[in-house]
Amino acid sequence: MSLPRATLRLAALVAAAVAVLSLAGMALQYRLVADRLHAGQVALLAADMEGLGALYDQRRIIALRQAIDYRLAAGGPGLLLLLGKQGQVLAGNLAEWPGGVPRTAAGFTPEGAAVFTVDGARHLGVARDLPGGFALLVAHPLAAADATLAALRRGIAGIALAMLAAGAAVGWLAARRIMARIRAINALADRVAAGDLDARLPGPRAGDEFGLLETHVHAMLDRIGNLNRATHRLSDTIAHELRTPLNRMLQKLTRIAGQETVVDDLRAEMRATIRIFDSLLDISRAEADAGAGGLVPVDLSALAAEVWDLYEPLAEDRGLTPAAEIAPDLWILGDRTLIAQALANLLDNAVKFCRPGDALRLTLRAEGGRQVLALADTGPGMPADLRATALDRFTRAGRDRAVAGHGLGLALVRAIAVRHGARLELPPVAQGFAVEIGWPPLPPEARG
Amino acid sequence: MPDPADPLILIIEDDAETAAAVAAIARGLGTRVALAATLAEGLAAARAGDPAVIVLDRMLPGGDGIAALAALRAGGSTALVLVLSALGRAANRVEGLERGADDYLAKPFEPDELRARLRALLRRGQMQVLDNDLIAFGDVEIRLKARTVHVGTRHVPVSPREFALVVHFARHAGQVVTRMQLLETVWNLHFDPQTNVVDVHVGRLRRKLEQAAGRPLILTARGEGYVFFPVPAVEGA
Repeated sequence: MSLPRATLRLAALVAAAVAVLSLAGMALQYRLVADRLHAGQVALLAADMEGLGALYDQRRIIALRQAIDYRLAAGGPGLLLLLGKQGQVLAGNLAEWPGGVPRTAAGFTPEGAAVFTVDGARHLGVARDLPGGFALLVAHPLAAADATLAALRRGIAGIALAMLAAGAAVGWLAARRIMARIRAINALADRVAAGDLDARLPGPRAGDEFGLLETHVHAMLDRIGNLNRATHRLSDTIAHELRTPLNRMLQKLTRIAGQETVVDDLRAEMRATIRIFDSLLDISRAEADAGAGGLVPVDLSALAAEVWDLYEPLAEDRGLTPAAEIAPDLWILGDRTLIAQALANLLDNAVKFCRPGDALRLTLRAEGGRQVLALADTGPGMPADLRATALDRFTRAGRDRAVAGHGLGLALVRAIAVRHGARLELPPVAQGFAVEIGWPPLPPEARG
Repeated sequence: MPDPADPLILIIEDDAETAAAVAAIARGLGTRVALAATLAEGLAAARAGDPAVIVLDRMLPGGDGIAALAALRAGGSTALVLVLSALGRAANRVEGLERGADDYLAKPFEPDELRARLRALLRRGQMQVLDNDLIAFGDVEIRLKARTVHVGTRHVPVSPREFALVVHFARHAGQVVTRMQLLETVWNLHFDPQTNVVDVHVGRLRRKLEQAAGRPLILTARGEGYVFFPVPAVEGA
């Protein structure tokens, strides 16, 4: 089913959009905080360098050594290291010069500050070559800033998950609301397609786009209903207006004497003409009435046996091998005359197209929740290019031009199947032609 | 000259041409004929004339003839009604019969078909109650309860459907019975199949009877049907 899938898709889309947007916002904020923290570290370094630079200006290396010893004794954070000409440690809290810090002669500024790791802890520091072969390193630990950023990242991850869940929930609810209204319209369309042209949605229409859609659908259905009624009236009128003059012609034929063959031919032609428009009227009426009620309990087993009984001797006379297997007591809700007409049309076709020696088999059985009426023969079958349009009006095979018929037989069978909510299928067979009609069964308690 | 003792056929039909054709067929059967062109006229004529058979159109000035059937019966008419209508699809016929018509023929109709049906209705109106077990014509005997057919002492084996056929023929002995009538009464099917399925059934029955009797009992009537002549030129029960 596509309906829940559409709901899910819409919900997922809303959730993803919400999550992506909030993630982007939070990423931007994270970037700002990280930059701000880095700038703070650089400012600390700058202050240190400036202080050390002032001391160096007064008394050079001696002042630096004293300041470093004093700072370390005071227990300040960070790393300090002053090396002598031969690389020996003059002052500081590092045993040796760490790697990863570029040494420049840029003076007492934080320029060229770099991140490096000592004993697993990240530091931001600057290294300087001082005149006379001395070297100085000043660094601050990044642990506090890193912890802040880690907490921020954890927060962002949590919020992102929460947003995703909330987005999914909101999306689901919104999609459900929309889909429920679409579902209502779909259900209406289904009922109409099943034949209930008078089906409408209950209650007043809302003022939104859905309300407008419902109003449009209703207007459309009203129009279809009107057209349908007009068609019914028209078919009765056509029947009357064409049959009356045809009738006069037929009565006048009796006054023609001495040309019996011509008169008989004319009669036959007129009868064929009437049969064509009877079939057309039957087809359109059956299609228009589809699903409209007015059906009564019919013993399909008995009816199939009766029609079979009517055609079996004819099939035998034409040299066919007829066989019937009719399960007893299968009932449906139907129109006896229409069902008999459908079966008679199928049998007419079979008898017409099969050759002596062909088998003709009628079966009626309960299968898969349907009463399946199947007729199969081993005749010439149906040309492959005709299968797609076989059930349309006026479809006839080129090879059948010589055989009497108007190409309405199967179209009428289909219309009658539609009228009864039955499924008509032309299952492929190795040899011949097969047709299956699956009628909706009538439970025993409903037979009245 | 029409004799007042002859049965009356009332034709309620607004198409003059059709009415004239029906009237000609009715007169050919030796009946008196009354014509009415509207429903109201027709109902009045039915009350006044006590017709044996009414030929009733459906789409009449004044309404649907079928709808007037109830009024007709309520007025005390015992006439048999044959609906003759352009509403000729199977569904219309079934509807007409269900709503009280005794027979239903679609326009355009074959004159032979109408003649056969009118004759059947006229005869039904006059028919004596038969022995409710035995129908006999000379040496042809049909027993309804035992469902057997004998010609002289020879038993003619018939299928249940053939038995129904021979009974129908027997009840209309000497008259033309059309294929459509047989399909309607013996098979209770109200549509016109493309092939003449009925011919095969009648043919089989005819061969069986002819074999037993040594003479043809069912003859093909020119045009539209069959005639059952159990005793040449003599009809009896």
